[in-house]
Amino acid sequence: MRHLSLVQSLSRLQEEQKYTDEILLDHVGLAITRGTVVEMAGGASSGKTSVALSLLAKLTATGEVCAVVDSTGGFDPCTAVLAGVELENLLWVRCGGDVERSFMAADYLVQAKGFGCVWLNLNGLPEHQLRMVPKTYWYRYRNRIKETPTMLLVTAAEHVTGSASQRSFQFSRKKTVWSGTGRYKLLREFDLSLLSQKGVYGKPLQTKIEMDYTDV
Amino acid sequence: MSKLYACIILTEATKDKEALAYVAQQFSYRLEILDDGVLFDVGGLERLVGKPDEIARQILEQLQKCGVSGNVAVAENADTALLLARQNKGLSHTIASPAEFDQLPLRNLEIETDSIRVFDELGIKTVRELQQIPTDDLINRYGPEFRKVIDIIEQNGRRFLTPNIKESSIAWKYNLDHAVEDFEQLIFIVNHGLDNLFAEIAHQALSTEHLDISFRLANKTRRDYEIKTSFPTLERSFWLKLINLRVNLDPPEAAIVSVDVTAHFTKPRPNQRGLYAVSRPEPESLLLTVNKIKKLVGEDNIGVPVLVNQRLSEAFALDADKLPVGKERIEQKTPSGIVAFNYFRPALRTEVLVRDGRLVFIKTRYFSGHVTEYSGVWKANSRWWDKSWQAQEWDIEVENNGVYRLCKVNKEWFLAGEYD
Repeated sequence: MRHLSLVQSLSRLQEEQKYTDEILLDHVGLAITRGTVVEMAGGASSGKTSVALSLLAKLTATGEVCAVVDSTGGFDPCTAVLAGVELENLLWVRCGGDVERSFMAADYLVQAKGFGCVWLNLNGLPEHQLRMVPKTYWYRYRNRIKETPTMLLVTAAEHVTGSASQRSFQFSRKKTVWSGTGRYKLLREFDLSLLSQKGVYGKPLQTKIEMDYTDV
Repeated sequence: MSKLYACIILTEATKDKEALAYVAQQFSYRLEILDDGVLFDVGGLERLVGKPDEIARQILEQLQKCGVSGNVAVAENADTALLLARQNKGLSHTIASPAEFDQLPLRNLEIETDSIRVFDELGIKTVRELQQIPTDDLINRYGPEFRKVIDIIEQNGRRFLTPNIKESSIAWKYNLDHAVEDFEQLIFIVNHGLDNLFAEIAHQALSTEHLDISFRLANKTRRDYEIKTSFPTLERSFWLKLINLRVNLDPPEAAIVSVDVTAHFTKPRPNQRGLYAVSRPEPESLLLTVNKIKKLVGEDNIGVPVLVNQRLSEAFALDADKLPVGKERIEQKTPSGIVAFNYFRPALRTEVLVRDGRLVFIKTRYFSGHVTEYSGVWKANSRWWDKSWQAQEWDIEVENNGVYRLCKVNKEWFLAGEYD
């Protein structure tokens, strides 16, 4: 009987972890669940920053407060505005390329509760340093945001979150489209492929992101 | 305990208001400043001072000491005290006794001019004469609203005293027996001080968003800290953490001898939000988190991004004094995917092979490859109107790698960032 009671409590724990509210990114075809860790990994120019900005744009437009933990200081607010991000609703933390500071800052932010999204951008950090980060950090984050409306979005060149993330996507760029000829060319768009590596399996999602030359 | 009110009416209105408030505060904390004087509660002073006549005499004495000319009246009713003090307007330093109330002219009461004229014609000129007329007859003749006048002449006026003079701040001070080097050792004492201060503020139905902390130091100097939040709150633990973080960021240079805390009053925060309001961090929690992260990454590395309206290569800045506000955009747009840009910090030094005026190959410390496509050259300069064009930029696609922004400045090649 004791074993049964243990099974019951564990199953209830699993139910508690489910948060039904999802954020839909129509142009990409993604649904991201609140209260979970979501990982977007991909090499150079694979479009992960673009999708992360789309998510922030969706949330900040409705008045939610989001945070960017910018590990290397590479965040560009100009393209964020072009993507539709409301800068007044965004907290920007620059960590100067320090892995430990980035993780500590993210820890403080998920503890604060109430953020729509905390984006931990690890892009540009040396891979050997990221591999040294204990996996327990990710579980700590997962437990902190469980049953809260906050989602932790992690972008990096490689997968780092392990089994702590609920969804994990592998981004790759299939094609780069240029317009014009000779010396008069312009970068136009990226054709991207997103392969879900957790939760929902199937064919990779195909999407396009366009270059915006609007002056902000 | 019987109610007792005192009223001082100035001989010259709008003059000596501060001195008048000072005199009233010698006797009571509950005072209402009027256009022509001050009304205050002296209930309970009978035990300390004596009979109402004695209280009035002492008030007049204080008035004379402060060099203010006015008339004093003390009565069991606020309306009565007001009418009595006003009867001698024009004279100075007089005390009106409640016994004089019956002789007050009806003109001093708030009665319509037509009614006063009728009473005049009937030979009714004083309060006593009006009191002799049956109440029911007066109400039948002048309507139920005349009940207010009857209440006043029967000394049952219902006027409330509404305190309208308030302090703008409240202070707490603590002198230590021995100088203390580390502020953290004083946390318990400051906690106690905040407890007292906030209880006092809450009692006045107010709140605070501004604390001034001042330390007197062992080297006979002072160290002041000003702590402000963007919202009023009386949460003691929050303020305590904020004070601790602020003092730790810039600790005093010598041991602390005494602590002064001043809290500035403000209206409390309305706390009602809509049913469908989106989730946001609590202001206290957000401010504390930001301060913790400030300690971690430095004060200038956390804030809200802002665009700069200038022709700069990086036309944006980080505003470290601002916090995200949670502003809702009225015009909802569907986010569309755009190619984002990521800066390399620092810019990546590159070797570039140029053949026949074309970019052919690049090599960095992390990768190398053939340039498959590129656009440019774009000439760029932050201040192009007073300097020659300095930077040249290209968008390049590197074989089996990413799409980058390549820059050439003073014959040096860099990768400024990556399109992602």
